[in-house]
Order: sequence, then C-alpha cells, then structure tokens
Amino acid sequence: MSDLKCESVSMAAMAIADGYQPELSSQQIEIHLASCANCREELGQLQELSSLLDTQERRLGTETLWLKIERRLPEVNRTSTSRGSASFMVLGALLLGYRLVELIPDRDFSFLFKFVPVLLVIAAFSYLRENPFKINSELSLEGES
Amino acid sequence: MDDNAAIERCRAGDNEAFRHIVERYQAEAIGHATAILGNREDALDAVQEAFIDAFQALDQLDLNRRFYPWFYVVLRNRCYKLAHGRQKREMSNADDMEILAAAATIRPENSMLLEQAMLELSAEDRELITLRHLDGLSYQELAERLGVPQGTIMSRLYHGRKKLRDRLARLSFTGLKVEL
Repeated sequence: MSDLKCESVSMAAMAIADGYQPELSSQQIEIHLASCANCREELGQLQELSSLLDTQERRLGTETLWLKIERRLPEVNRTSTSRGSASFMVLGALLLGYRLVELIPDRDFSFLFKFVPVLLVIAAFSYLRENPFKINSELSLEGES
Repeated sequence: MDDNAAIERCRAGDNEAFRHIVERYQAEAIGHATAILGNREDALDAVQEAFIDAFQALDQLDLNRRFYPWFYVVLRNRCYKLAHGRQKREMSNADDMEILAAAATIRPENSMLLEQAMLELSAEDRELITLRHLDGLSYQELAERLGVPQGTIMSRLYHGRKKLRDRLARLSFTGLKVEL
C-alpha cells in the first residue's frame, strides 16, 4: 500500500469527498493517510477550501440582452436562407443555359467546354463559403442514438 | 410558455418566441461566461453571440434534451473562441467581484482575495471549479457538459484546486480554518 503515490491518494480522497468513486478504495486511502503526514496536511487544506467554495454563490447577470439580440435575428435568417437560395437559383439558371447551348446542333465545342458546369458549381459554393462535403457530426450522432 | 413550445415556434419562423429563451437563461449564461472569461464585458459579447449561434442551430436541438446544457456547449465555444482570439486577456479588477456574489459566510476582504485568486487561474480551471462548487454539478454532469471522461474531471479538479490554494496562500488568505 505504501507504493501508492501521494498525489493519487489525495486525488482519490478528494474525489470520494465529491461523491465520485475512483479506482482506489477508501481502505487503501486510509492506510496510506495513516502513515503520510504530508498527504493528511494537503487533504486538510483542500477539503477546507472545497467546503469554503461550496458556500459561495455565482454572481448572475442582471443585463437584458433581448433588444440587442432581436435586432440581429432577421439578419441571421436572411444570411442563412435568402442568400443561399438566390445563389442556387442563379446556379440552376446558368446550368440550364449551358445545357441549351450544348444542345445546339452542328456546333463543335472544345473539350474544355465540358468543365464549365463543374466550374460553375465550385464558384457557387465558394461564394457561399460552404463545403458541400462537410458532415455535420452533431446531426450524425443524433441519428445514431 | 415552456422551452419546447418556444423552440417549436422559433423553428416555425416566430423570432419573438426566442425572447422567452433569452430572458429565461441570460442571467445564468452571463454568470457562466464571466467565470470563463474573467471579464463581464467580454462575457456579455460572448453570450449575445452564443444566443445568435443557438438560434441558427435550433434545428439541431433534440427536444427530448434540456435546452441549457445544449446551449452551454455553444456558449463555452464562443467564450474560448473569444479568449483565444486575444493575445493578452484583460481581466476585471478584482475589486469588482464579478464571478462571486457577496456571501455572509466569508469576510468581504477574503471574498475579494478569493475572487482575485480565481481570476489568476486558467479559464479552464476556473470554469471547472465554479461549475463544481458554485453550481454543484456532479462528476458525471461535468463530464457530459465538458465532453471529457470523469477520470479527467477528477484529475483536473484536483490540480485546479491545488493551484487555487497556492494562489490563496500567496495572497495571505485567512478565510480557511487551516493554515495555508
């Protein structure tokens, strides 16, 4: 039992006082404390500090934030939906135009012309600062649970 | 109106319903942000931004879960983003008593020293100690809220309290029954 590190014992003793059961048992801790004055002193100080902290209360905010937040909510909606939907409508119109041009008979477009739709899509996502390959981990986790 | 009803109305496009959420949780959120940032002015900015972030992400909130623990994650992300964005943090003057409320269990001068010692801790240590002792969260609740194992909570809490004790000793704090 004397092989136990002082820090492990003090940490475990504090955890037990907090209501958490660590790997060390209470018996192991007691045996160590009986022979280690340093640990007893340290634990005494930390437990006193904990007791004092338990009597303290958090100072809560008294400020009212709604008016400042409310002013920004319509702006939030606009940036998240209007800008995106308008951009995708423009993208759709451009792709449709591309398709119509491509259907014109007897026109020999160069090989590079086939990359135009890809460039349009890349340009749209760059403008929106969106990553089309991004996975929303929070949504994935919710789905799993 | 309960939280879920307000959130459903927000999702349906009624921004005014978000007022219920803001007014219900702003006091607590400001208290939590102040404990992390050590500065009430920055805390107010962080809380505002966090409410905006939460509003934008309301679709991701599972209504079977309580709002505030979910919001707390959003809030602390905002706080740490703000804290790390600054080269040197400007802490509040300890005379202001921004983290702790006045308490009858401790003399005012010791209360000031305790606040000062807490402001000298890292934001992470201060957050953990205040959640444990001022809010009374269990290790399991702390682990869920901070996204780390309970063993990590045990270790970080132990070392955080030791640092706090050392700072109090340096400040000649006399509010404990034992000598530091």
